[in-house]
Amino acid sequence: MTIDLKSPFGALLLALTIIAFCYLLLPILVIVVAPLGNTGYLSFPPQGLTLKWYQAAVGDMRYVGSFLTSLKVATITAIVSTVIGILAAHGLTRYDFRGRKFIEALFLSPLILPTLVLAVGLSIFFSRTGLLTGTARLAASHVIVCTPYVIRVSLPVFQRFDRTLEEAAQNLGATPLQSFLMVLLPVVRPAIIAGAVMAFITSFDEVVLALFLAEPSAPTLPVTIYSAVQLGFDPSVAAVSGLLVLLTMALMVIYHIFGAVRD
Amino acid sequence: MTAVRPVLDAPGTHGAAASSPRLIPYVPVLLFAPCFIIYAILFIWPQLSLLATSFVDGNQWSIAHYQRFLGDSYYWELLGRTLFLGVITTVITLVLGLPVAYLLARMQSRWAGFLLVITTFPLLVSAVVRSFGWMVLFFRDGLISKLVVALGLASPPFQLMYSMSGVVIALAQVLLPLMVLTLYGVFRSIDRDLELAAMSLGAKPSLALWLVTLRLARGGILAGSLLVFSLAISTFATPSLVGGARAHVMSTAIYEQTIELLNWPFAAALSSILLVFVLVLALVYGRVLEGRGQTEARS
Repeated sequence: MTIDLKSPFGALLLALTIIAFCYLLLPILVIVVAPLGNTGYLSFPPQGLTLKWYQAAVGDMRYVGSFLTSLKVATITAIVSTVIGILAAHGLTRYDFRGRKFIEALFLSPLILPTLVLAVGLSIFFSRTGLLTGTARLAASHVIVCTPYVIRVSLPVFQRFDRTLEEAAQNLGATPLQSFLMVLLPVVRPAIIAGAVMAFITSFDEVVLALFLAEPSAPTLPVTIYSAVQLGFDPSVAAVSGLLVLLTMALMVIYHIFGAVRD
Repeated sequence: MTAVRPVLDAPGTHGAAASSPRLIPYVPVLLFAPCFIIYAILFIWPQLSLLATSFVDGNQWSIAHYQRFLGDSYYWELLGRTLFLGVITTVITLVLGLPVAYLLARMQSRWAGFLLVITTFPLLVSAVVRSFGWMVLFFRDGLISKLVVALGLASPPFQLMYSMSGVVIALAQVLLPLMVLTLYGVFRSIDRDLELAAMSLGAKPSLALWLVTLRLARGGILAGSLLVFSLAISTFATPSLVGGARAHVMSTAIYEQTIELLNWPFAAALSSILLVFVLVLALVYGRVLEGRGQTEARS
């Protein structure tokens, strides 16, 4: 530590840091804890202690149904964007040609575009062309948002990959496809996993595109929560949100243990 | 397709290329094709048609929608409020983000990794859920409202819900992790020995931080600010939930025009105006990052 935390200046830095961490975690804590209250309305800190709202959330078909919709959309999105993103990242690092920089910028450009603007464009586009319906329509839109993440995560890994390994495999008789599948893919696997996880989470949590494009009869979970929150504070909505937080936390812990084992 | 060639063409390793000479030029095209086709249909085409829609009135080309925006003080106010939201959110995330990122980057204990994970975690929780947490605290009976009233800062029917202050507090929390992560990377790349050198020459820690570290981190601070600013002016979920109809910004107005009023051309014009701001910021951001790369290369 360069700065002594006991000096007045260090203490100021430390105090701001503690405030920042409380600020970051407060609303998340509220969402997990508030539905434990025994009252018919949400309050923080909760009064009484019950699991009935959490039970109500798990038993409510609206939430279960939209959870499954989100799961389906996020799975399709993760698979499609990982496949096309990995192929593109491979092409971008493997070949040098005029316009390579341009293609890279083009593939990453949805990162800059506000999702809302993309959503307006897509909803006008889909309603005029009638292209795709239901889950496929939403998943296709999510692919545009998620693919740039996959590419950005995997580009550096592909760049670090030692191409002589692949050439060695080919000199030993492997076809380009074989060396791609058996040499390149295993080496860049962490990038593929990271990209797929990122695409899945991004798609699962995405609300703006889903608000504009999801079928009203089959909303995703964030849309269901969004609409329910706007109508009023039913503690079971908070319980669903709380479950989402706990699920995210569990996934993160698993990911870290898994990551630590693999290092 | 002669322009397409492998990046590394080490001499003596033509075995692979020779095995399928006619196939090679088409491989990169096949690699890019899936991504490119999907982007062309679902990204480029819709965005171009969005732009075109904003210039159509009835059946002919027109700039009527832009004139409507520019001629109405309501929309000027809307734009001003949106940009103000961006500025104040950026300032809050900077004030809180700088110490956090600095301490995380300079910490030499096992806690550093854990705290970094805690910083990242809120990013993985949907913005809807995080905004919802703030709503529970902001409502009339919520903890913050009671606290403010108890402290005598406001009279009883007080709530932060449906107010710009509420939107600012919630949005700054939503975007703070991004600021911390950006600044963390920058501070990590600045050599700690430079601070120590300044201090051994007699500078107080605060002065060393001000003169040395923050100077070197200027590019990163600007980059983080541009990132947070451009997200703050274009995010939808938090302003819409916490601000509701009483604290309209560009994004909620665009939603209203598209979904509720079905006025697509005007929604398209509003979107294009928002997009121009974001694109300009992105260009500056790119310049800043480039500049940082050059200074790093020089040093």
